[in-house]
Amino acid sequence: MIFIKTKGDHLAELSPEEQQAHVQKIGKYIGGLMESGKLKGAQPLEMDGAIIHGNKGVFKDGPFNESKEVIVGYFHIVAENLEEAIEIAKANPMFDDAEATIEVRPIKQMDGIN
Amino acid sequence: MPRDEKNISDKIDHLFRYEYGKLVSVLTKTFGTSNIELAEDVVQEAMLEALNKWTYSGVPENPVGWIYRVAKFKAVNILNKEKYKRQYASNVVHHLQSEWTLEPALEHIFTDKEIADDQLRMIFTCCHPSISSDSQIALTLKTLCGFSIPEIAKAFLTNEENINKRLVRARKTIKDADIPFLVPVGKELEERLSNVLETIYLLFNEGYNSTSGDSMIRFELCEEAIRLAEIIASNPTIKSSNTYALLALMTFNTSRFNSRIDEFDNLLDLEHQERNKWDNELIKKGLYYLEFAATQDEVSIYHILATISAHHCTALTYESTDWIGILSLYDMLIEIDKSPIILLNRAVVLSKTGSPKKALKQLTKIKDNPAFRSYIPYYTTKAELHFQNNAPKMAIKTLNELLKLPFDEKFKPLINNKLRKYSERN
Repeated sequence: MIFIKTKGDHLAELSPEEQQAHVQKIGKYIGGLMESGKLKGAQPLEMDGAIIHGNKGVFKDGPFNESKEVIVGYFHIVAENLEEAIEIAKANPMFDDAEATIEVRPIKQMDGIN
Repeated sequence: MPRDEKNISDKIDHLFRYEYGKLVSVLTKTFGTSNIELAEDVVQEAMLEALNKWTYSGVPENPVGWIYRVAKFKAVNILNKEKYKRQYASNVVHHLQSEWTLEPALEHIFTDKEIADDQLRMIFTCCHPSISSDSQIALTLKTLCGFSIPEIAKAFLTNEENINKRLVRARKTIKDADIPFLVPVGKELEERLSNVLETIYLLFNEGYNSTSGDSMIRFELCEEAIRLAEIIASNPTIKSSNTYALLALMTFNTSRFNSRIDEFDNLLDLEHQERNKWDNELIKKGLYYLEFAATQDEVSIYHILATISAHHCTALTYESTDWIGILSLYDMLIEIDKSPIILLNRAVVLSKTGSPKKALKQLTKIKDNPAFRSYIPYYTTKAELHFQNNAPKMAIKTLNELLKLPFDEKFKPLINNKLRKYSERN
């Protein structure tokens, strides 16, 4: 499993409210990038010729949260329950120079066959 | 093969899925891309050998190492057979036959770094644009993710014969087009990477949009999509903000897995999901990915979709969802792509910002799209919008239209619940 550590690891310390504020900032930031013409790959997802539940569809379906999860639950999966944990923390400026480093950890460790 | 044994071997295949993918990648480099099937056969045989041996003498201490050794040995045997030599056009073989003896050369090929690079090459080979999209996914699942043909068929709600056809077509295309076993560079990398990401995205959707089939397999499709994106992201030579944006998108959506279904197997919408069941570690990880993606001075449709998901995942309660922020992201999306599916989802957000009427108006713009004729979310969305607009009669009418269509039985209770809700207000 890869894990990027930005300088100071400031994200790990955000409270839930701060997380939401952080996402709002990112949204605005991305809007700014759009306006300044930083759009990359004008249409990475052409909405045609894709597969909708195994049938040839006319557009590409995607994990759009709105029609799938706001209007109607759409999933049918039970997974392990993982612990919830979040630390209350101090605010941190967004977008410092992110000198990202990557750690790689295995997702699953195989211990042989039982 | 008798049924029981077949089950055991399927199990082994599955347990060693990741190893399978690595081995097939390494052997594809050894034998050349026109011999992917041979690579698969060798790995398959090594696993069968393991199965037979372990059934009698127990599992060795290092089962993975054991399988690698057997596969290596089989590869040496094949390469040493004179009659095959000319068939392997890969540079590796040329190399093997000149400078070194075969076995030490193979030792080098099987180092961890080489294996990681080979998996990346394999991703680019399987997702080559000359292969059709559904064949790309089938081949990726088969060779890189070690899914069996029955599992792939289950995941795509189709029969094994169909999947087999797709695999045959994909291998043939690779042979005919003489696709090299390489990660492209420069300008070509950019184009090819966007194709690879799209395939991974589709793979994820197959899992996420689960409407039936084996839920475990569905979950694993999502896991695999994330794993493949991580292989790409962890390669320092490929700088791609889009890969991280896609990773963020998938990670956020995976964080809600535990909460989308209640103890009675009912599907839950965002409003009714228990938010304390959302996986905080994954949400945090998604935020890291998104942050990294956003600071690369590039933006793509993945960035926008990931940020929308991030909004949902970081709202402490449903009521505190920042619909205005989400709407502005949808406005960006339609600048890039006015596809009906995006307009449909944007309409939902519009209704949440207090204008179900406006939202319905948007829907009339896309009502004649043939793609929506059998698309459940279109009907459920339209019905809900009518209901919010104080027109329960229209809502009921919409759902009755849906009931006339062929759809998965599993949605019946859900639709009936909605009908009840709307009738109470009628």
